[in-house]
Amino acid sequence: MGAALLKAQIEQHIPSAFAVHQRKGDGNIPTGIAEIDNAVRGVPLRALTEICGSDLASSGKTSLLVSLLAQASQDRFCALVDASDAFDPETGRTAGINPSRLLWVRCGKSKAKLRPLEQAFKVADILLQSSGFGLIAVDLSGIAERVVRRIPLSSWFRFSRVIEKQAAALVFIEQEPHATSCAGLVLRISTEPKVFSGNLLTQLNLEVEVMRSWGKKPVRSERSEFCLPTQWA
Amino acid sequence: MFACLHVPDFPVQAALLPETQDAREGLRQSPIAVFDGPASLPKIIALNGPARHMGIEAGMTRLQVETCGGVLLRKRSEADENFAQAELLECANAFSPTVESTCSGTVILDLAGTEKLFGALEDTAQKLAESAMERGFHAHVAVASNPDTAFYAALASAGITLIPAGDEADRLARLRISLLPITPDMLETLESWGIRTFQSLAALPEAPLTERLGQDGLYLQRLARGQIMRPLVPSGESPHFVETHEFDDPVETLESLSFIVNRLLQQACSRLTAHALSTNELRLILNLDVRQVRAGKDGEEYKHEWKLPVPTQDRSVLFTLVRLDLEKQTFSAPVKKVTVEVVPAKPRAIQGNLFAPPSPEAEQLEITLARIRGVVGSSDEDGLSRVGSPELVDTHQPDSFRVRPFSSSASTNSATVVPAIALRVFRPAQETSVERTGEAPHLVRLGRKYRRVLAASGPWCSSGNWWKETWVREEWDVALKTTAGIGFYRIYLDRLRDRWFVEGIFD
Repeated sequence: MGAALLKAQIEQHIPSAFAVHQRKGDGNIPTGIAEIDNAVRGVPLRALTEICGSDLASSGKTSLLVSLLAQASQDRFCALVDASDAFDPETGRTAGINPSRLLWVRCGKSKAKLRPLEQAFKVADILLQSSGFGLIAVDLSGIAERVVRRIPLSSWFRFSRVIEKQAAALVFIEQEPHATSCAGLVLRISTEPKVFSGNLLTQLNLEVEVMRSWGKKPVRSERSEFCLPTQWA
Repeated sequence: MFACLHVPDFPVQAALLPETQDAREGLRQSPIAVFDGPASLPKIIALNGPARHMGIEAGMTRLQVETCGGVLLRKRSEADENFAQAELLECANAFSPTVESTCSGTVILDLAGTEKLFGALEDTAQKLAESAMERGFHAHVAVASNPDTAFYAALASAGITLIPAGDEADRLARLRISLLPITPDMLETLESWGIRTFQSLAALPEAPLTERLGQDGLYLQRLARGQIMRPLVPSGESPHFVETHEFDDPVETLESLSFIVNRLLQQACSRLTAHALSTNELRLILNLDVRQVRAGKDGEEYKHEWKLPVPTQDRSVLFTLVRLDLEKQTFSAPVKKVTVEVVPAKPRAIQGNLFAPPSPEAEQLEITLARIRGVVGSSDEDGLSRVGSPELVDTHQPDSFRVRPFSSSASTNSATVVPAIALRVFRPAQETSVERTGEAPHLVRLGRKYRRVLAASGPWCSSGNWWKETWVREEWDVALKTTAGIGFYRIYLDRLRDRWFVEGIFD
């Protein structure tokens, strides 16, 4: 009996046996950085995105996050869950974030005595339950890598399943990717060494690597380079 | 025409009002007495029909009544009576815009012009009695051509009484003059003349009566004749939406407290709905049963206030906010009294904008924010809110900002989007050690290790706030060689304390 015949017979009884789950492509939020938008068309809606970069060295991940928030806050309500309370409002203003459309949640010491990572995940959960936010960004890059690594895969899977049903993007900023196949897009970002112009820091040369993308198959790493000016340049 | 709605044995009926309808109807058949007065000698102030049949009278002591047995005794509750009076006013307000709260348990309403809405006067009186019954009152209703005639008729006659114009004196004839607003001296004088009813007072000649009792006597005679026509004094003050419950035994568990708070909010929201109002401000006051009361203080109390971005009538939204707050609190003593106050506001009448971005639902947003505050806390060590929208402060001091409440009715932004290198701030700034070569930093400690400075830009000096908390700093942007690559950090020297700090990293 041929495989095709066997498959047809099974499908007669169980129609969905060989059906492939199709993810809804429901648009993207541009990051505001042309090179990244050209490569991946921005951050996908209804998917989990990871933006990774070193915490010790300057990588550009926060700049990418701020640029993304600035773009998204023009026509959406955004939430930033700041696990290490590191967001700089002055930077946000310079980048063009609409502050009235940004919900900033600053994790830290609380009566509940939860660690910042636990707080960030609980808050992300609450925000996902309440619809209306077009972008939910969770900044975990200040949390030690060994702590973030302990997050069970089931948590990432749950987030990925919940965000699939909402017209919103869920973005995690981390040092290393952890969501594996639950992530719709994984970007790794780093800096080039040459940066100073005379005696003043004027721009950073950045390199972004697309490590995973549902939008482009087969998956392979893609690199693109660009530069971002400093706020005073 | 005027209608009077009178609730007989008002303290008793008010005491039964918090009960469910079935329980209330069951209790009405039982003898009930309400007592008040000093704890050493409480006396009966009101009782119902079955209690009167048992021979109990107002003024008897509690002990005397307890010896009779079988009488349900309730302590007088001012809160219950206020609530009942408010209910009575609401009931009357549904029939007429001009309502006078004449006294406790009695309201008078002007029925002029209501015929087209409610039909004939008989029908209106019937509907008024039914409406009062739905609210838990067994009330007397009287309709007459002037307020005082309606008042005395309702006071004296059960059920529905209709007095046609011109028949006032005849219908009031048998009432005792003690019902009139009469001074004890005047009552004694009239009784000494053999005047005991309205009829006999009305029959006296006016001139000799005025000569002997003055204008007050003439006024009483006109009242007895049903000839006084006065305007109503409407209860013009804006309705006060305060609900209170005092526990017989102080409660300690959240479930018991939540049950009562839920009921109070339900009552408040029902009243708001009846007045076509909403609320955007909610206050909760819990009086604690503190055993050792400090001098000059009547126990301790817990207060909390919620300000909502949009007005709401939704009881579940308000209750969830209260519940989320109560879950976080621990009290030093059980709760003996709960007060819920809602501040009335005009309901939101706004049409959604088809072209506006999707936003969090305004009513649910407050609950979401309250839940988030429950996780991360309300404010940090500096008193800044942990949840909200960032707002810059007009100052040159670095890292100065405010966090204002987040709202789903946000304004549009005219700022252009310009990608730029962002600063990740360390809050609080990390103290560090710096070695200099000349003026420029040469080595900077990050954590435990010293990192070599590859390039440095600075110093950028700034100072300010000399009138308050002065700050003087020397700022450097440095490129440090780390194991992960090059890190661009902002460090500064606090010149007042002569200590170095890492403010953040350009990331």
